[in-house]
Amino acid sequence: MRARAAPGLVGLALLLAFAFLGPLMHRTSPTTLDLANPTAAPSTEHPLGTDEAGRDVLARLMHGGRVSLVVGVLAGLVALVVGLAVGGLASARAAWVRTVSSRLLDAAMAVPAFFVLLVILTLFGTGPVTLIAAVGATAWMGIARLVRVEALSLREREFVSAASALGAGPLRRFVRHLVPNLLPTLTVAATLGVAQAVLTESALSFLGLGIQPPRASWGNMLTGAQVSLARAPWLAVLPGICIVATVLACNAVGESVRRRSSPVRE
Amino acid sequence: MSRASVARGIATAAALAAAVSCGGAAGAGDALHLAIINDPILNAVIAPDIGSILVNKIVFPGLVRPNESLEPEPDLAERWEVSDDGTVYTFHLRPGVVWHDGAPFTARDVAFTFDRIADSTTGTLLWSDFAPIDSVRTPDSLTVEFFLEAPYAPFLTLLGHNAGIIPAHAFPPGASLRDQVAFNRSRPIGTGPYRVSESVPGSYLVLTANERYHGAQPSIPTIVVKIVPDVNAQVAQLRAGELDLITLEPALLPGVEDDPDLRIEQVGVPQHYYVGFNQDLPRFEPAAVRRALMLAVDRQAIIDGVLKGHADYPQGTIPIVLRAYYAADLPRIPHDTAAALALLAEAGWRRSADGKLRDQAGDPFRFSMMIDKGNPSREQAALAVQQDLARIGIEVTLQTLEFSALVRDYLLPRNYEAVLVWWNTPLDPDQYSYYATDQANNDYGYSNPAADSLLLAGRRAVDPEARAAAYRAFQAVEAEDPPVLVLYYPRELQVHRARLSGIPRLGIRDALRHVERFRLESR
Amino acid sequence: MAGALRVLLRRGLQAVVVVWLVTTATFVLVHAAPGGPSVLADPKLGATERAALERELGLDQPIPIQYVRWQGALLRGDLGRSFLYQTPTLSTVLDRLPNTLLLVGPALLLAIAIALPLGVATGRRPGGTLDRLVTAVNFTSLAIPAFWVGIVLILLVAARWRLLPAGGMVTPGAGGSLVDRIRHLVLPVVVLALPLTAELLRFVRNGVMAEAVAGHLAPARARGLAEGHLLRHHVLRNALLPLLTALGLQMPILVGGAAVTETVFSWPGMGRLGIEAALGRDYPLVLAITLVVAATVVTVNLLLDLLYAWADPRVAVES
Repeated sequence: MRARAAPGLVGLALLLAFAFLGPLMHRTSPTTLDLANPTAAPSTEHPLGTDEAGRDVLARLMHGGRVSLVVGVLAGLVALVVGLAVGGLASARAAWVRTVSSRLLDAAMAVPAFFVLLVILTLFGTGPVTLIAAVGATAWMGIARLVRVEALSLREREFVSAASALGAGPLRRFVRHLVPNLLPTLTVAATLGVAQAVLTESALSFLGLGIQPPRASWGNMLTGAQVSLARAPWLAVLPGICIVATVLACNAVGESVRRRSSPVRE
Repeated sequence: MSRASVARGIATAAALAAAVSCGGAAGAGDALHLAIINDPILNAVIAPDIGSILVNKIVFPGLVRPNESLEPEPDLAERWEVSDDGTVYTFHLRPGVVWHDGAPFTARDVAFTFDRIADSTTGTLLWSDFAPIDSVRTPDSLTVEFFLEAPYAPFLTLLGHNAGIIPAHAFPPGASLRDQVAFNRSRPIGTGPYRVSESVPGSYLVLTANERYHGAQPSIPTIVVKIVPDVNAQVAQLRAGELDLITLEPALLPGVEDDPDLRIEQVGVPQHYYVGFNQDLPRFEPAAVRRALMLAVDRQAIIDGVLKGHADYPQGTIPIVLRAYYAADLPRIPHDTAAALALLAEAGWRRSADGKLRDQAGDPFRFSMMIDKGNPSREQAALAVQQDLARIGIEVTLQTLEFSALVRDYLLPRNYEAVLVWWNTPLDPDQYSYYATDQANNDYGYSNPAADSLLLAGRRAVDPEARAAAYRAFQAVEAEDPPVLVLYYPRELQVHRARLSGIPRLGIRDALRHVERFRLESR
Repeated sequence: MAGALRVLLRRGLQAVVVVWLVTTATFVLVHAAPGGPSVLADPKLGATERAALERELGLDQPIPIQYVRWQGALLRGDLGRSFLYQTPTLSTVLDRLPNTLLLVGPALLLAIAIALPLGVATGRRPGGTLDRLVTAVNFTSLAIPAFWVGIVLILLVAARWRLLPAGGMVTPGAGGSLVDRIRHLVLPVVVLALPLTAELLRFVRNGVMAEAVAGHLAPARARGLAEGHLLRHHVLRNALLPLLTALGLQMPILVGGAAVTETVFSWPGMGRLGIEAALGRDYPLVLAITLVVAATVVTVNLLLDLLYAWADPRVAVES
């Protein structure tokens, strides 16, 4: 299992550099309209041309990338932390803790997350913070359930029974024995979570509930571009490539970590 | 006067479309397919949104309807008289009109409709339109008399706007209109050229030509109204031949321009889009400041760049489509940064070394402007305003909100600095409730005694000439003391398949009052 | 047997509690938010009309009283009336539910039909040509926003080539023949099934692979068990387990995916109704949809848990 993570990591690094370092070199504003110059072809001033309102596409891609990546990573993180905590509690040895948190988890699982997301965003507004919190708060259930199922399954096997026979406390047991064994699952879930959050933002943008223009995000650029798909397809293709690349890179990293830490190595 | 209903927004009020049935109803020949964005409530009195209003225009005619000169012409009423003082309107109903269920249409139905409208607890949105009605009398089964509290010039126009007549016999006495689910959702009874023959929630309605219609017999046997909530999906269905006619935002035009089988018509509509400033704030109170802001914004650039030329340059708040009232002779208020700065200097705002506009105390001129989300044209117009004002040292921050939140939480409680919104009015210049001091829809705190008296004179004028004079004078007042910064008068873009003809040159809402004239060439 | 029944009863009761929790949480969420239903936000409404409308909708009451009323009505099976549509919410939702099931059902079947065999095949020979190909396709289809696939399909297949309809469930007025219905179903089902298939496949493949490398097969094979037997008793069971997990995880996500797909394809389903309800802040409708979906998902989860216990005896049903 040599440098399998490399393509994913390199991809992510490139995307991050594009979004966070790019604007330092390409200093054009992503929101300045040039109404006389819509859907312009690439030029020295606008290396990737302009959109329907004459805004610089490259600058929008970079700034949109910042927004999309930050939303994705933070929302994924929120989901991971909450999911780990609830999943851990739901597999606790103490019956009442397990029952209460299992019911909580069941309740949360029973709600169509995307629908709750819509309700939250329509009701509480669509600022970036709300968006991150809402996307994270509606994406942890899968992780929690995975943690619970895996933890229960693992506990039935030898690892933990032995540890508890040695008198380890519940938190210690969880952190020292279960988490390392859960790591492959968690890594896959976490990277998937980030990827999912990026996709969720774009779907929300399609419904008008993602990051709000004039602030760019890859999602709202993609949505906005469907108008001129026939005439200026690149306006859709560019943010589309960025989204796909991000998701692919995240998934590749997750996949390789999973393989690396699986019990049998190639 | 509805600022097209709400959350669904007028963006998507580009909501009407029509299409060709691919399968073809058995033996019915080609159908015209119209599309709306949501399930309609098929009751003209309680219709809450644009989708409902559009279908109701077909199913529920009013006493009059606007013709292509925007004047009321007979519909359910054959003729009418107005008393000399303008407070009594007597309508003589067309004899022999029957409801879709075969019952005769009489004065009782008209009285019932306006009785329901007068009861604000029905949930009607027409209450304020007809608040000046004092009483309604029916001397005989074909005569209706309206007694008004005061002369009310928009009355006829409003009767032809959204006030479709509903049947008294379909509603049990005392029952709430909202409880009549079968009527409201699937089996409405109107007098229009088409009746609803099938209704599939969330999917479509089938309207069948009414053989007993009181006007010209409809040319197209069937209309299908599809529910297509996404505007881009409407464009796709139009291109796929599943729709014949849609109305569009200019931003969506690129999606249809390359199809040789589509025709694009531009129609002036009674709307004005504007930036409203909260004049409770001392900063926006002086007329000079508001006029300066108007001079500072390059409105022609917005019309050309954002609306791709599909809008008219504004004078005041009375849109150009109301030709009889529009003050075409007033000098155009240009884009003039220098003049704007001079006016601002008079009001005590000067540019400091850093280029920012500041008052004597050194406080910068900055404010936040709210816009509703989801509409690219308004969004870009807002950005253009922001950029233009930045050029004279005014810092504008944009705040994007859901339309209903914007209205309810900020606009109505007057808890804002500036908003970019719009009015979509009936075909009448009456703007008393918007721009007269302390009136119900004056959300800006605008107050100008001259404007007040002119708007009241216009509302009460019996003589058309006197009425026009009042509104021309009002526009002259507006030019010096603008109630709001009008950005443009949009034109409605109607895109239809070449085989559809006979659409009167009216906005789609009013054009549908004449749907029996639409023609469809068979393929 | 009686024990199993008691467990089932208990879990059923728990499910009811879960649904109640969900709806109560939604009630609090909806009413805690600033603003109000969009029918009240028409700027043209005067103070009189607005107050009358609030009274009519019962929104002038304090929230605890609204809650008690709502709970009381709920016990009588009355879920209130939609603000937007003026219809009883429960029947409005139940009218749309079959349409969503008609979309989700085939998508689910299609996804399982592809994911299970391909997942087993690739999981057994990881790194093979098939595995590489499938993994690549899989990763890509997980990475493309589904709504975008829908839009592009509509533009190409419906608008340009005119092979299939661009939206809707049937051709209105055409009588709704089976062929017509299937033609309308193809594109949305494909769009909905695409990420679902990829997700399921991934779980199945990883599950099969993990068990294979965990070394359970080698001894069995060494004992001379036939490959067919191995496939049935070891591999398939190990594939079903992750498939069930993934299905459980995907259920609520599928509802969200259906909502987006339904919007793209103008499909008159419950998901789109949910979006309209949320956007219009139609409280009763939002609550009714939450209730119906929560009840459905809880039931499915219950079934999955039982299946899970059957598929992996190591996890006992909690009693």
